[in-house]
Amino acid sequence: MANSVNISIEAPIENQIQEITYDGQEIYQAPLSMSENLARLAQKIDFSKSEDEYCNIKKEGESSSDPKPDDDSKDAGYQSNQWPWESVRNKLRNALTEVCVLADVLNIAKEKRYMVLDPVQPEQADNRPMVQVYGRKKALGAAAAVLLAGVERLRASETMRVSRNMPDFHIDLLRLRQNWRLKKVSNTIVGDLSYRTAGSKFSQTGVFEVTKAPEEQMMAAMSMNAAGPAPSALRVTVPPELQGVAFISVLCQKEQEDVVTATLSSSALNCPGTLPGDGAELHWQQKLEAAQNVLFCKELFARLAAEAVQLDASIPHMVVGNQIMATVLPGIQLLIGLCHNNGQNNTNNGPEGVKPEGAAGKSDHDHVLEHSLHQLLRAVHHANTHYPFPHPATGPLGPSKRRCLAGPMAADRYELLEMSKEQSLLEQIIQQAQHFFMRRRSEYVLDTIAKEVKDPLIVSHWNALNSPTQSCVKINIMAYGYDVVCRTSLVVHVGEKTLKCICRDGKVRHLSYELQELRDLIYCQIYQHQMTAVQAVGRCMGWQLLASSAHLGSGPVEPLGNASSCLLASPNGDRMIAIRCEPSVGIQVFIAQSPRKDFFSSELVQDKKWENLGGAFKEIKLDKMEGKNFLNKMELLMACLSSPS
Amino acid sequence: MGVTVLQQYPVPENRNGTYVIELLTKRMLALGATQQGQFLVDCESYLSHPQMGTTKTVHILHNSEQPASVFSILESGTKNIHVIADGLFDLLMMKLSQHYTSKKQTKIESKGPRFELGDFCVKLGSVTMNQNFKGILIEVEYRPCVMANAVWGLLREFLQGLLGPTVTIQPPQHLLSRMNEIYTPIDTIYQYLEHFSAYRKTTGMRP
Repeated sequence: MANSVNISIEAPIENQIQEITYDGQEIYQAPLSMSENLARLAQKIDFSKSEDEYCNIKKEGESSSDPKPDDDSKDAGYQSNQWPWESVRNKLRNALTEVCVLADVLNIAKEKRYMVLDPVQPEQADNRPMVQVYGRKKALGAAAAVLLAGVERLRASETMRVSRNMPDFHIDLLRLRQNWRLKKVSNTIVGDLSYRTAGSKFSQTGVFEVTKAPEEQMMAAMSMNAAGPAPSALRVTVPPELQGVAFISVLCQKEQEDVVTATLSSSALNCPGTLPGDGAELHWQQKLEAAQNVLFCKELFARLAAEAVQLDASIPHMVVGNQIMATVLPGIQLLIGLCHNNGQNNTNNGPEGVKPEGAAGKSDHDHVLEHSLHQLLRAVHHANTHYPFPHPATGPLGPSKRRCLAGPMAADRYELLEMSKEQSLLEQIIQQAQHFFMRRRSEYVLDTIAKEVKDPLIVSHWNALNSPTQSCVKINIMAYGYDVVCRTSLVVHVGEKTLKCICRDGKVRHLSYELQELRDLIYCQIYQHQMTAVQAVGRCMGWQLLASSAHLGSGPVEPLGNASSCLLASPNGDRMIAIRCEPSVGIQVFIAQSPRKDFFSSELVQDKKWENLGGAFKEIKLDKMEGKNFLNKMELLMACLSSPS
Repeated sequence: MGVTVLQQYPVPENRNGTYVIELLTKRMLALGATQQGQFLVDCESYLSHPQMGTTKTVHILHNSEQPASVFSILESGTKNIHVIADGLFDLLMMKLSQHYTSKKQTKIESKGPRFELGDFCVKLGSVTMNQNFKGILIEVEYRPCVMANAVWGLLREFLQGLLGPTVTIQPPQHLLSRMNEIYTPIDTIYQYLEHFSAYRKTTGMRP
């Protein structure tokens, strides 16, 4: 042990290569941690085998060495089996002993006093040339046979492929590589279908494995549908949690009596069976796309569920099983469910019991909102990978442009707080759902009013271009044939929970989601329109407006709005028309005449001149009059009263 | 962002700063103001290395009202140049420590409670330099207006009412030339710098 030898043990520096990118850059796997490495090494040690082999070598090699220490070490090794490094240490110790002995022997031999090393005579080689030739010939023949057999197999498979139009594994692999991320891990080909590279931060992985389809299956598939597309030589194995079909179902429904029914229907959320031709082996492209969609839906739902729990709404959102419930407007709920139908659960999810409910739910399924949800998550993904420009070399990456400028522009804390606010996906989809309902309700109200009220006509123009949370409708009120004389137009902005009406006179009214308000407003506008229109017709006919009041104080109290009236005088001033318009009663028209025809001198009023005072107003039965609509009737009436008879 | 006026409040003889702050806090609460947290304005000055020619001073100021910003004012003889940057400017100054050395013992700050009263925002700051109390600075901001000229009378009246008749209210030196211009956050910083420089020159408390 005089010259002890230092032995250093260390793991190889290089990490395993995970992926080689197109530009030749190597991406390394992260090195194992100490405990992982230890566990890995301990797994590799086969205690019994190594000890046995070691013993054998010992016995074969030096017969002179005492076998007893081996047994000792063996026993010690077995005793402390739980320490994985025990056998390694023993081996090292033995090696050290041997090396020390060797060093001692060499030292002794160098002195040449006690020991002399003689060269050992090498064994006489067989010099017969023919034997060598035969030996080499035989060896070459064996090698050639192996190569020929390989060639034969390759040729056979090639001819079979060409003759029977069998798909080529490598061509298919190339196609797969063009569309999906693949990498080779030792002997297997592994792919990734997750949206990580597109900016997703979902924790679930989307690893799939690519193998070669067995030839018998390909043959069988080809023989089954000879006319169809050629089966692929690839087989793609997707993890079971990503198999099958998934989609996010979005339902808007009126509030139900209790939660139980809602959850019942949730369990029956419709799953559209499976992919077409599920029994047969799917093409890998469809299979991977379906799996990717499953992953996407899972991410979307997980995100929505997390947001639903975090948000503190006045009516808390509920997450039950695979369903999220949120209240959109009083009495209306938004149900977002994750429907995932993988092949295994198909039998459990018996279609017979729940089919009707599922079918009912299916009709309500809102494709637009589902699409919006997908769009929103894709926007989040996009924002995760696309940072707004510019990217200053020294600044942090990620904050918005406004936030980048907040420092130099000396933004105060309120502005910064405003910037940090972000709308979650759930809030956005609830807003969209609210808007959807508001729009539909407003449409309904406008349509029913247009149906109920024939005179004047109510025409509503919806803007074709609108945002998911705002749209705009222009309402024109006019009478048929008199649209040039007078038309009342108003604009209604339909928002998320409110309506904004901009009336003809420029007044802006904010209405709530209760649509009775919109209805009342439109009715008020209709009667207002009638009053202004009749005045306009009067002007055209040369009649004179004596008085008008939009808000009459007389008469019974109106449930909605105020009564309005106007007084018109004929061109030569002998006739008068009074119009009174009450939203609850309708329009009343009165006429008076001066000189009055029914003037008789009495004892009190004897003078004839008093007949020039206007007489009593008499009501006209409008419904008995001729004319298409109110304005037409009024025009006829005015024309009639203007005549000098 | 409105117009801000910074006013020094004299500390009475044989009284300390906390007494004054408490007194003014009571007055503010009696007026119906609500306290909205604390505020802090600090200033650190850096001297350029003599090798770079004439010595210049760079003042670095932070205002808690604009938490994302760093204000720097370079004193170069007659003209002051200011730069408003984001928080990374502090790190840049650290990198420049070879050329600009910090005068640690002159680090000065004003901090205290922050009150909101309608459109006014009032901050009662006690000024300390190296933990030594130096005086009281009162900041009053009138938020709806951005023209000093238009609001000076209102601010003076408010200050007079708050601080009492013993204090004479004058428009700040910095604002005199800028009465008709739009008020920006850097104007507040200039006012603080004026007062801080005055505090640094005086030893002990500023009367």
